[in-house]
Amino acid sequence: MLVTVRPLPLPDPGTPPVTGPGALLWWLARRQWGILTVAVLLGMVTFGCQAVMPYVLGRALDEGLTEGFGAVLLGWAAVMLGIGVVQVAAAAVGHRFDIENWLRAAFTTSQLVGDTVARSGHTITDELPTGEVVSAVASDALRVGEVYAIAARFAGSLMAYAVVAGIMLSTSFQLGLVVVLGLPVVAGILAFLVKPLQQRQAAQREASGRLTTLGADTVSGLRILRGIGGEKVFTDRYRTQSQDVRRTGVRVATTQSYLDALQVLLPGLFVALVLYLGAHAAVRGEISPGQLVAFYGYAAFLSWPLQIATQTLQATTRAHVAAKKLIKVLSVVPATGATPGTSSAPPAGSVLVDDASGVELAPGRVVALVSVDPDESARIATRMGRFDDVAEAGTPVHLGGVRLADLDKDVVRERIVVAEATPHLFSGVLGEELDVRGGNLEAELMRAIMIADAHDVLDSVPDGLAGDLPEKGRSLSGGQRQRVALARAILTDPEILILIEPTSAVDAHTEARIAERLAEVRRGRTTLVVTASPLVLDHVDDVLFVEDGRVVTHGTHRELLHRPRGAHQGEQAARYRAVVGRSMDEPAATQPGEDVEGAHGTDHLTSSSPELSDASKGVS
Amino acid sequence: MKLPIADGPTVRKHTAYLVREHRGTLIGLAVLHTVAAVAGLAGPWILGRLVDAVTQGTTAGYVNQVIAIGVVAVIVQAVLIRYAQKASMIFGEAVFAELREDFLETVTTLPLSTVERAGTGDLVARTTNDVNRIQHAVRFGVPRLIVAVVTILLTVVASLLTSPLVAVALFVGVPLMVVVSRWYLRRASPGYQRESAAYAALNGTITESVEGARTVDALRLGARRRARVQADLREAFAAERYTLNLRTVLFPAVDFTFVLAPVAVIVWGGYMISTGHATLGAVTTIAMYAFQLAGPVWELIFWLDEIQVAATSLARIVGVKLVDSDREAGDEVPTDEHVVARKVEYAYRAGHNVLHGIDLDLRVGERLAVVGPSGAGKSTLGRMLAGIHPPTGGSVQVGGVDLVDLPLDDLRRHVALVTQEHHVFVGSLADNLRLADETADDEQLLAALAAVDALGWVESLPEGLATGVGSGGHVLTPAQAQQVALARLVLLDPHTLILDEATSLLDPRAARHLERSLNAVLEGRTVVAIAHRLHTAHDADRVAVVDGGRITEIGPHDELVAAGGDYARLWKSWQQE
Repeated sequence: MLVTVRPLPLPDPGTPPVTGPGALLWWLARRQWGILTVAVLLGMVTFGCQAVMPYVLGRALDEGLTEGFGAVLLGWAAVMLGIGVVQVAAAAVGHRFDIENWLRAAFTTSQLVGDTVARSGHTITDELPTGEVVSAVASDALRVGEVYAIAARFAGSLMAYAVVAGIMLSTSFQLGLVVVLGLPVVAGILAFLVKPLQQRQAAQREASGRLTTLGADTVSGLRILRGIGGEKVFTDRYRTQSQDVRRTGVRVATTQSYLDALQVLLPGLFVALVLYLGAHAAVRGEISPGQLVAFYGYAAFLSWPLQIATQTLQATTRAHVAAKKLIKVLSVVPATGATPGTSSAPPAGSVLVDDASGVELAPGRVVALVSVDPDESARIATRMGRFDDVAEAGTPVHLGGVRLADLDKDVVRERIVVAEATPHLFSGVLGEELDVRGGNLEAELMRAIMIADAHDVLDSVPDGLAGDLPEKGRSLSGGQRQRVALARAILTDPEILILIEPTSAVDAHTEARIAERLAEVRRGRTTLVVTASPLVLDHVDDVLFVEDGRVVTHGTHRELLHRPRGAHQGEQAARYRAVVGRSMDEPAATQPGEDVEGAHGTDHLTSSSPELSDASKGVS
Repeated sequence: MKLPIADGPTVRKHTAYLVREHRGTLIGLAVLHTVAAVAGLAGPWILGRLVDAVTQGTTAGYVNQVIAIGVVAVIVQAVLIRYAQKASMIFGEAVFAELREDFLETVTTLPLSTVERAGTGDLVARTTNDVNRIQHAVRFGVPRLIVAVVTILLTVVASLLTSPLVAVALFVGVPLMVVVSRWYLRRASPGYQRESAAYAALNGTITESVEGARTVDALRLGARRRARVQADLREAFAAERYTLNLRTVLFPAVDFTFVLAPVAVIVWGGYMISTGHATLGAVTTIAMYAFQLAGPVWELIFWLDEIQVAATSLARIVGVKLVDSDREAGDEVPTDEHVVARKVEYAYRAGHNVLHGIDLDLRVGERLAVVGPSGAGKSTLGRMLAGIHPPTGGSVQVGGVDLVDLPLDDLRRHVALVTQEHHVFVGSLADNLRLADETADDEQLLAALAAVDALGWVESLPEGLATGVGSGGHVLTPAQAQQVALARLVLLDPHTLILDEATSLLDPRAARHLERSLNAVLEGRTVVAIAHRLHTAHDADRVAVVDGGRITEIGPHDELVAAGGDYARLWKSWQQE
């Protein structure tokens, strides 16, 4: 009698209210009202069966056994068996519904978080630490689900308690009252003792977390340690923290062992009290031996619903906290395209203009942007791809005269592609990860790989295009990662392509080849490259030189190199030469101290992103 | 290259060793738990006595006596449980601490070549996930398992003592339960592991989406990322449904056993009473025992399941011990500081040589730049020169001794390698530097930092050298981390340094400045600099061009430019003036 669980995830997770945790939990409950109701009914059947079992047993002993072996006894045995079978079946099916309730709620919330992350852009990382977003899926979603899984057992427990109370009070008012009122007191005392235990457990978890961090830290830097020494320092450090964790564990053990003992002692003494009162009542002839057995059974059974009630309380508290955290993630509003576009798209071949800097991308031209401060040119280029609608109010960018922020976001992303200095590579099949827009043939992929001079990547990834690229392209060297990202950007083949420092991590040989091929493939297509590399500058149609946020001069790389100081904008050309020049005799333009500052300011524009580092892994 | 995973017999051998090591403690724990469990059997026994007494007529005094015994039993049981649980948990903590410390010790002594080639991902996973996965089993699993087994055995024994004839009825459901539990346990571990893998994949997807949020936005990858989440959830659901189906078989089978047992006891017990072989009290006691057995049996099945999962993690942890050493230190002592490579060949995969017989004679105190296209084998050559991997053919020697024959501590004093890798350890900046030289004082640390142009930013740190860095501390930029790595090398002060793109994360102008100040400090040391920026080559004494696993050109910059070969062409296009 398997009950089919409806497949998850649902195609549409819906739109949740983000007004408060209660509203979110209620919204989720309403969406699974049907299965929640079935689960609750099954929980009541299961617990109901368990609750009447001691009663039936008592009757069996009284009526069945005292009258000798025969039809009466067999009759009661059959009743016990029947109730038992119903209970077993209801519990098994109920478990399926509990799990379905749990998964439905947890997966719906996970999906909602996934959707938010997929459309939020950089706002999510601006507003929340990565760990918090990940734990929304890794733990908060599951915690929220637990409430719906335990609901049935909670309902069942409530009912069982009521049934047992009813039976007992009607059998022996005094004894019934002791059981019905006494047990909650016992449960209350135990719940009270759980608090210090939880505190010590939290302390241990924290120490344990630190130990894990320390272990991961040591192992992550193992190449360095094995290369230059210091292993001993680190194993000692780990050992110290490990012993610290052990000590917190011993403290937990002390509290836990008291709690374990009390969990035996209190219910045990309680049962002894019930037996004492019951046995005397039985001696006085007020109750039968079977009823005495039944009372013993109730007293033992009732601690179970009470335990579930405590668990439900804890689960609800946790879910409430988790829902609060989820709401923080779900209410992130993307920095661009939060509202639909208001203007219609300008025709293809429109000019893209950044008002503040005066950078103008005329259709079909391959242009380079150079600045003394690489940060500045990158900022301008990024702006032209629309990444922050609020900021754009101050520094408007127009495509064919229409402000980017007024356009539909999808249109902007379709027509203008910005490949930033620290592009992220995602795990997946290499061919699919390259072809982000889909529909390119293998020959086109190979062509893009050729342009980015990334053939060696096909050898580094087992099975080439069909092979798996690990997270962040970790198996590739820094240069390889950059070239894969470049091939990916080329394949999007947009009307306007903006590349920021696309070749900063590759060697000169390779850069020379890429520069030539890139200029060729984008010939006649609007392209902007932010770079200070002469190898690239030599191949573009026009070079824009920016100082203090404004274009101060432009020309071809060669013309700017040879423009006399005395000519129109000759001084600017001389300053351009100082930026792009590789003359070995030219002294460093700044003092050492400032030089290092420069290193901070620009390093994320050169090859310094984590994605582009550790080239050493590239071989094997 | 993958790290080894221990097979079944090896894991069992290791476990047996652990058990032997702690035999005394384990026996003591078992005894404590046994006595506690015996006391726990009092309840049903007393109930049985009372039922018999009431049926046969008794006095209030007798009832009080029996109840008093019960109260004493409960108190004794509680006290024993207090000590038994505490001792078990403390034992679990100690064993687990020993296990993880031993593991980390093994990891930090792994051969250089294994560390370089296996990558750190697998090791990090073993240090974090696998260690955490066995902690539950070691801390709680082992003690609870002991308790469950002892309780089950004692309950059965107590039933047999109460009335062996009636107690037989307890076993009526056992065959069904055993068959189904075995069926379940065989499938459960892979099932639950698939579940955790599915959730790990989902977390990975979300992590990637968040970390790459900017790229997701720029390249309109939103729909793809959503589809990935959907796919991960589908897999998680499939895994959940599989284990749910397993439980849908297990739960009713075990539950039914415990429904059947008391019914069988009553029917069979009733028959025994009618034939005079048992009392009503005995039947009551055994029926109650039948109910009581359900708890420990469920606990046993649960922990067997958990311990199976932990065993697979243990296999990965023990597996690290199986890595063979890649070298054996000899006792030859180098006669000088002259590093020479002869006919060096290297293949990561047999038959695919990356280096084809490289000859390189490093002049003591020279500065050699190695340039060449990506994938030419520059980094591999660097690792050979630093003695990280034993070459597959030829040799690299210092002062007449093979690098790989030197004890590791000596090797580090001769040759050291710095790569692009820029891991910053958790701790203070000073801690990060003192790895290379534990005895260095602050003056020396600052001097080393000055040599790599890092003094400026270090002085502006909130607490200077004492500033906490690494995960959770002050974040160093990758360029700063590279400077720290170089400063470490300055402190280590070997006579030959291999720098593999060691300044690539700095911007070109800062990199060049750094190299110049570093050169001043390293005067007299031999430096091999693998670089993609040609100014490094320009500033070096000699330039080696590596292409296709061979040195195609070697000589001073000016000579190579004059020779008009590959290097000259490259230089011209780069220089352009």
